[in-house]
Amino acid sequence: MAARGKDPDPPPPAALTCASPAECSLSSTQSHTVCMVSDFFYPNMGGVESHIYQLSQCLIERGHKIIIVTHAYGNRKGVRYLTNGLKVYYLPLKVMYNQSTATTLFHSLPLLRYIFVREKVTIIHSHSSFSAMAHDALFHGKTMGLQTVFTDHSLFGFADVSSVLTNKLLTVSLCDTNHIICVSYTSKENTVLRATLNPEIVSVIPNAVDPTDFTPDPFQRHDDVVTIIVVSRLVYRKGTDLLSGIIPKLCLKYPDLNFIIGGEGPKRIILEEVRERYQLHDRVHLLGALEHKNVRNVLVQGHIFLNTSLTEAFCMAILEAASCGLQVVSTRVGGIPEVLPESLIILCEPSVKSLCEGLEKAISQLKSGTLLPPADIHNIVKTFYTWRNVAERTEKVYDRVSREAVLSMDKRLDRLISHCGPVTGCIFALLAVFNFLFLVFLQWMIPDSLIDVAVDASGPQSTWGRQCSYSKQRDQNSSEPSKTR
Amino acid sequence: MVFKVFFPTCCTSADSGLLVGRWVPEQSSAVVLAVVHFPFIPIQVKELLTQVQQASHVGVTVLGTWCHRRQGPEEGLGRFLEGLGTIFSHDPWLQLCRQRGGTSWSCKAVGQPMSPGVPSDDQVLLVFYDQRQVLLSQLHPPTVLPDRQAGDAPASAGGLAAVFDTVARSEVLFRSDRFDEGPVRLSHWQSEGVEASILVELAKQAAGPTCMLVSWLLSLLSAVSTCRLFRLWPLSFICSKLSTCEQVRHRLGHLSLLFSIQGAETPAQLMRKANVFVSVLLDVALGLMLLAWLHGKDHIGQLADTLVPVADRVAEGLQHLLQWLMGAPAGLKMNRALDQVLGRFFLYHIHLWISYIHLMSPFIERILWHVGLSACLGLTVALSLLSDIIALLTFHIYCFYVYGARLYYLKIYGLSSLWRLFRGKKWNVLRQRVDSCSYDLDQLFIGTLLFTILVFLLPTTALYYLVFTLLRLLVVTVQGSLHLLVDLINSLPLYSVGLRLCRPYRLAAGVKFRVLGHEAGKPLRLLMQINPLPYSRVVHTYRLPSCGCHPKLSWSSLCRKLFFGELIYPWRQKSCKQD
Amino acid sequence: MEDELSFSDICGGRLALQRRYYSPTCREFCLSCPRLSLRSLTAVTCSVWLAAYGLFTLCENSMILSAAIFIILLGLLGYLHFVKIDQETLLIIDSLGIQMTSSYASGKESTTFIEMGKVKDIIINEAIYMQKVIYYLCILLKDPVEPHGISQVVPVFQSAKPRLDCLIEVYRSCQEILAHQKATSTSP
Repeated sequence: MAARGKDPDPPPPAALTCASPAECSLSSTQSHTVCMVSDFFYPNMGGVESHIYQLSQCLIERGHKIIIVTHAYGNRKGVRYLTNGLKVYYLPLKVMYNQSTATTLFHSLPLLRYIFVREKVTIIHSHSSFSAMAHDALFHGKTMGLQTVFTDHSLFGFADVSSVLTNKLLTVSLCDTNHIICVSYTSKENTVLRATLNPEIVSVIPNAVDPTDFTPDPFQRHDDVVTIIVVSRLVYRKGTDLLSGIIPKLCLKYPDLNFIIGGEGPKRIILEEVRERYQLHDRVHLLGALEHKNVRNVLVQGHIFLNTSLTEAFCMAILEAASCGLQVVSTRVGGIPEVLPESLIILCEPSVKSLCEGLEKAISQLKSGTLLPPADIHNIVKTFYTWRNVAERTEKVYDRVSREAVLSMDKRLDRLISHCGPVTGCIFALLAVFNFLFLVFLQWMIPDSLIDVAVDASGPQSTWGRQCSYSKQRDQNSSEPSKTR
Repeated sequence: MVFKVFFPTCCTSADSGLLVGRWVPEQSSAVVLAVVHFPFIPIQVKELLTQVQQASHVGVTVLGTWCHRRQGPEEGLGRFLEGLGTIFSHDPWLQLCRQRGGTSWSCKAVGQPMSPGVPSDDQVLLVFYDQRQVLLSQLHPPTVLPDRQAGDAPASAGGLAAVFDTVARSEVLFRSDRFDEGPVRLSHWQSEGVEASILVELAKQAAGPTCMLVSWLLSLLSAVSTCRLFRLWPLSFICSKLSTCEQVRHRLGHLSLLFSIQGAETPAQLMRKANVFVSVLLDVALGLMLLAWLHGKDHIGQLADTLVPVADRVAEGLQHLLQWLMGAPAGLKMNRALDQVLGRFFLYHIHLWISYIHLMSPFIERILWHVGLSACLGLTVALSLLSDIIALLTFHIYCFYVYGARLYYLKIYGLSSLWRLFRGKKWNVLRQRVDSCSYDLDQLFIGTLLFTILVFLLPTTALYYLVFTLLRLLVVTVQGSLHLLVDLINSLPLYSVGLRLCRPYRLAAGVKFRVLGHEAGKPLRLLMQINPLPYSRVVHTYRLPSCGCHPKLSWSSLCRKLFFGELIYPWRQKSCKQD
Repeated sequence: MEDELSFSDICGGRLALQRRYYSPTCREFCLSCPRLSLRSLTAVTCSVWLAAYGLFTLCENSMILSAAIFIILLGLLGYLHFVKIDQETLLIIDSLGIQMTSSYASGKESTTFIEMGKVKDIIINEAIYMQKVIYYLCILLKDPVEPHGISQVVPVFQSAKPRLDCLIEVYRSCQEILAHQKATSTSP
């Protein structure tokens, strides 16, 4: 009983309406049942989370059935429904490090198999190479003979021990995956090299922002001072140490310069120390963790957006900032140069000196008034990236994948052994065999026929639209399910 | 809305007559309280009803007619009953009828012609209830009863609570027993009649003065205990630490509650008093048994004879332990100088202790004899005293523990701050966080040196600390289990548990229904029974507040405290009691 | 009116659903699990005995054997009295309330009655249970403070755990009564 999530907001009594065939206007392509798996999803905040959510919403709009599987966040466990019948499973798995679950490669099989069977999933789409659950789902999906797609959201090095190990694991995980999606060309290059993949099965589909969420508002700015905005998690990867070097230098040089820093993390302490040492309490504002809906309100207060990341596959933050009409100064790392055209961004090397120069350039442009007005920047940016476009391109990947044949067990073992080196390959081939045996055991314990097929909340057989009207008739019977968002 | 009639089971075999009860319009249910038999005079019935209404503030009215056909169909009676509806007007007018066999019931609710939705026959629910059980039972959790003066409409008591409330309030109606000869013949649940006993009467008469006397004595006692002599520093401090004092004070509170002059008003207070009474009674009975055993066959002498050697042996054992620690315990190589210093220090303490025990030994029997007498105050007091004696007899262990813990704490504290210095950090006291800080070379050198020394001395201290902490934990466990026993006797609601065992319906968690049977065209008949409260909830609801504070420490925090060498206390602290 | 249908629970065990329609306003659903089978009882007894004999041969103390007997007896009693639920009944009476009864194998019955005034709705919900995702029927209770809120979710048929088809059967019947209740309570 421990795992029984007694949700205060119950899903609808969908049972009543399941008999009715919904007439859904299908797009020309066939519809898929996709299961998005990642450790990172709301209420956790970040690029991967919003990517999964927005992509799922756009795919539902196009008539596909989407479910999301993630791990339980605190009290949020069990099954939840988000807007438009997006169903989310919060599985009670132990979180090990950095919101990523521990993996034993086997313990999640019973639950994941149950979900794949009851939802009649055809394509498994895993996100983020940091997520152990995503890799587990890929592994189990291949064992169960389902099509697999993987989206990589981050870049990795090649040099240190930890990257060598993770790259090996990534090789194993991706060598028999049907298709891989990367968010930028740099990221594609990186992933192909790390996982020694055939570049033909790697597609590039960038992220997007919802331009209506990030609109400029020049009246929020104070034009007598220059305000620099930094919004990122305060961790090593995001270059907080660089930031702590930049702040005192620039503040000494320009008395009318303010910093607003949003985000939380273990490196916050060094920023606080800098602020205290140089007595900058009135000029450097640390806002702490920001909710996603508040990010725009912070962004519009500034003139310049600073991004100090040391590695980045596709920086959503600079896109959001540019969409709000800010001048972006960023490090030239990873996929960042691909994101925005030269006219909208000032690129620097990841060092304090270079970043200071870039910022000074931006400040002088601002003071001389040669910067584009915010509304113009917004209008330029809003045509670049949209979620509908992302969904369309992802759909094409799904179509292609669904036509491919899934590797049979013996071919998969061959691929593992030939592709991943003699030792690792053999170990993981053995593990794959064990996984297969475990699956057979589970199928003997609980045959597929015993698993109740879930009522579709999204997709062509969706009962969601009817459901809402039904519940409204009965004086708002159960609380509005979309409230969970 | 389905029409519900609550009908008492004791009236099923009553003769034909009028139904008297209350109409709850919000739930469209009729609660039948009694049946008035023929012959009656309508005026007298109305008078009786107004009397009951005034006494109970319940809108008792005539609800309809009751017809029990023992012989064949009586045409005349039926028409007569219909005619009664014009005398006692009520909307809707009930017509309840029971056929000969006893299995066939029919019920009709005749409304005024303009009232809409007159329920047809199969939309009537006939719910039978046991009047006595419903009257005596107490619903849990208790519903908030509206003020009795506020009128006869209990608005907040919704649903079945309204039924319970109605029956409980119309107790006046049931007061007449079967031997009474009133103007109106009623049929309802009747008590067997109160037996008048001289003893009971005498006890009732004597109760008042006794209570007065005892409560006066108690107030005198408490006045003495609060006088200034006991406020002086050492006495008050000792009193707060001794569990016996706490227990005696707790019991005094109980007694003053028992003998307080104002009676219990709510059922919960009454239950609490009864529980306290049974608990005190049991406590004293157990205490007297202990007393009889102790003073029976010179058990005290035997105890005293064994006690001193036991204390001696404990001290000897400790001496051996220390000597073992001063060598190479378990093959560990300790810091010899520190080891010797610590060992001698503790040995000297044990020496002091043994001489103290020997000084005491001639008087121990007398002391024990007097202590034994305290058992007549109750087993709990004797147990608390035992716990205090254990605490006094193991005082040396406590001392060792404190020395060891302090030393260890200092070490750990020093090590942690030097470790921060080692990493170029320091603890910022003002902001409660760790800041980075740049140290001089000298500072770093000295700090590192001290750190090394402390690290190498740590195992010796830690070993002493570990051994004495284990000893201390043993004592604490014994004392803790004694306190648990005392708390159990203090707080167990024995009266409520007994009530639940013998009269399950008295403590109701709710109701349950059983379907008695249904025939087409006849109303559905249900039997309403009281659902007794489960034992766990009885104990939970009526648990008396115990005097000792339970250790608020969780296991993890206890381990944490042990690791960092903070002191753990077994005894009850007054500060805990307040929160 | 009474009929009996056969369903299966989430583990594939057989369940019998008895529906009794006493009147249009009162229905009873009774889910009965199969009784304790002799086979499992024998298996457990044998395994405990084998373990006890194994220990006995190791330490040659006959206390172990008598302890094994006690353990089996107490375990069986406890299992029958506190764990094994033979039958679960849902009685729904219009305008009065919903009653859930579970009868244990020893004959003990535990009953909960929920007044209709507190019931907000009956729904089928999904939950993650052990290594499964299951549907279950539950009663939503009204929050006395906030009229649209839900104070508690009371699961029905907790031990039987029937599959979705059985739940839908019960759900439809319950909804009919609830709809009737709502229709009549608002009209006057």
